Amino acid sequence: MNETTVKLIALGLYLVLGPVLGCLLGGIDRKISARMQSRIGPPILQPWYDFRKLLLKENLVVRRSQNFYVFFYLLFMVFTGGLFFMGGDLLLVVFSLTLASIFMVLGAYKASSPYSFLGAERELLQIMAYEPMLLLVIVGLYMITGSFSVTDILAFDCTADTAKIHAPVILQGAGLFLGLIYILTIKLRKSPFDLSSSHHAHQELVRGLTTEFSGRAMAAIELAHWYETVLVLGLVYLFLGSCWWLAVPVVLLVFFLELVADNTCSRVKWQMAVKSSWIMAVIFGVGNVLVLQYWKPILQMFGK
Amino acid sequence: MSHLVKSPWIIHYDASSCNGCDIEVLACLTPMYDVERFGIVNTGNPKHADIFLITGSVNEQTRSVVKNIYEQMPEPKVVVAIGICASSGGIFRECYNVAGGVDKVIPVDVFVPGCAARPESIIDGVVQALGILEKRHAYQQSVENSIGQLIISQAEESDLPEIMSVQKTAYQSEAELYNDPSLPPLQQTLEQLREAFKTQILFKAVINGKVVGSIRGYTAEGTGHISRLSVHPYFQSKGIGKKLVSAIEARLTEAKRFEIFTWHKSSRNLELYGKLGYREFKTDQLNSAINRVYLEKAK
Repeated sequence: MNETTVKLIALGLYLVLGPVLGCLLGGIDRKISARMQSRIGPPILQPWYDFRKLLLKENLVVRRSQNFYVFFYLLFMVFTGGLFFMGGDLLLVVFSLTLASIFMVLGAYKASSPYSFLGAERELLQIMAYEPMLLLVIVGLYMITGSFSVTDILAFDCTADTAKIHAPVILQGAGLFLGLIYILTIKLRKSPFDLSSSHHAHQELVRGLTTEFSGRAMAAIELAHWYETVLVLGLVYLFLGSCWWLAVPVVLLVFFLELVADNTCSRVKWQMAVKSSWIMAVIFGVGNVLVLQYWKPILQMFGK
Repeated sequence: MSHLVKSPWIIHYDASSCNGCDIEVLACLTPMYDVERFGIVNTGNPKHADIFLITGSVNEQTRSVVKNIYEQMPEPKVVVAIGICASSGGIFRECYNVAGGVDKVIPVDVFVPGCAARPESIIDGVVQALGILEKRHAYQQSVENSIGQLIISQAEESDLPEIMSVQKTAYQSEAELYNDPSLPPLQQTLEQLREAFKTQILFKAVINGKVVGSIRGYTAEGTGHISRLSVHPYFQSKGIGKKLVSAIEARLTEAKRFEIFTWHKSSRNLELYGKLGYREFKTDQLNSAINRVYLEKAK
């Protein structure tokens, strides 16, 4: 099999299995959260039932064009994930991920209801909060592996280049990894950073972003979120990509930790969300990048 | 069972409850009852909701709010009135500012009794509401799917006036053909049709909820008598007549042969029946100008 075939297979698998996995993770999330609150909780397939139900419902809109933005939100989310799982350029992945989120924000703005408006503003603040750390992760990965390409980063640990001593990605980029986990909370829409749209707080202002969407549009948002979940967990996977038997449990552990945080933390104010994310970005992101730039000898101590 | 039943999202509104029922509604979400195990989610947003739970009687202040929430919910939706106040107004019924039960403002599907309603009965009410939600969805679906489609079914008594008017319109062309406005189908009154309905079987052809054609028949001594095939002029030559004849033939199960008649100049009818396998076997006179042509077909 040549490289193109492998890439196309990866794309196909992502398109089909991405939402399946996202849906199952959503179900597991609800189940575990319920158990943490000593409830029984819905079936694992509950997100799928919700999705199917939303497809049956009437699609009420304030303005028809709001659905247009949701469509592009979904499209760019699928595109972003496709790019990532085909082993594409991480910079492009981050940019199109941002573009997808911006389409969602525009959709919420278009509906022009106070709740939706507030949700859109909060989503913008969240994007502002996580974006620096995300970019630093990409920059850091480039400094470690010398490439923006997902394929190269995955292959980095495996290259048996004994002449050049290098430590595994996870060790060289430990700070980046921690920073990524921190902003993952925002991306997965979990407490304490579920400001614009929360998984669990259904009656509150924080449903803001999706307030004016119903029926098919809401189903499309759910679907896009499943793709998004798989994509951001893929980013976590990237740090340990060389050995999948370690990477998969770590990704699941990270997901579990997010659930723990979700169920134990109360929501913070937006100032706190932005400040803390930026502080994390400075300490772990910039810190790690500086280490990579100036203290090579330290890193070589970890080396093979 | 569609997925509607597995994922009911609820919106709860307190129209002017004493909070007794509200607390019981929220109690359903606690670990004790945990309605989320049935996929029930308490949303705060009418646009995401399928079931509208209302507690308390409706007063003049909340009347417009209740209406507004109801209108913002996407179809299909159901309304559950929780507690005696929401059902009838309860002890506040006579108050000058109280409109009464919720059904005074919006259509209510399920009434949950009690003061306050117990969580068990609230859950029971929601489960009953799910049945209604499912039915409503099925109806909506059938209406949507039938747009532009021909549905042939047995007529009910309420269809008779419409069938009558289509029959009168359809037989106009025959009247012109023979230059005789006194043809029996044009003379028939609604009362006579009602009489016929008691002894005969009527089939109707419906498009978009409007009757466009009909046929009737009965079985006597092993012979299925089929008569009064009528199709509205706009819908003729579209195969509707053929389908109506086959439908009634299939319904007259006891018949061993079928008989049908038309008038001698009605070449289109003769051609149609010929195609359906009917052969002419006798003629008699309706009046001096018109001959009746009888056709038959073995089963």
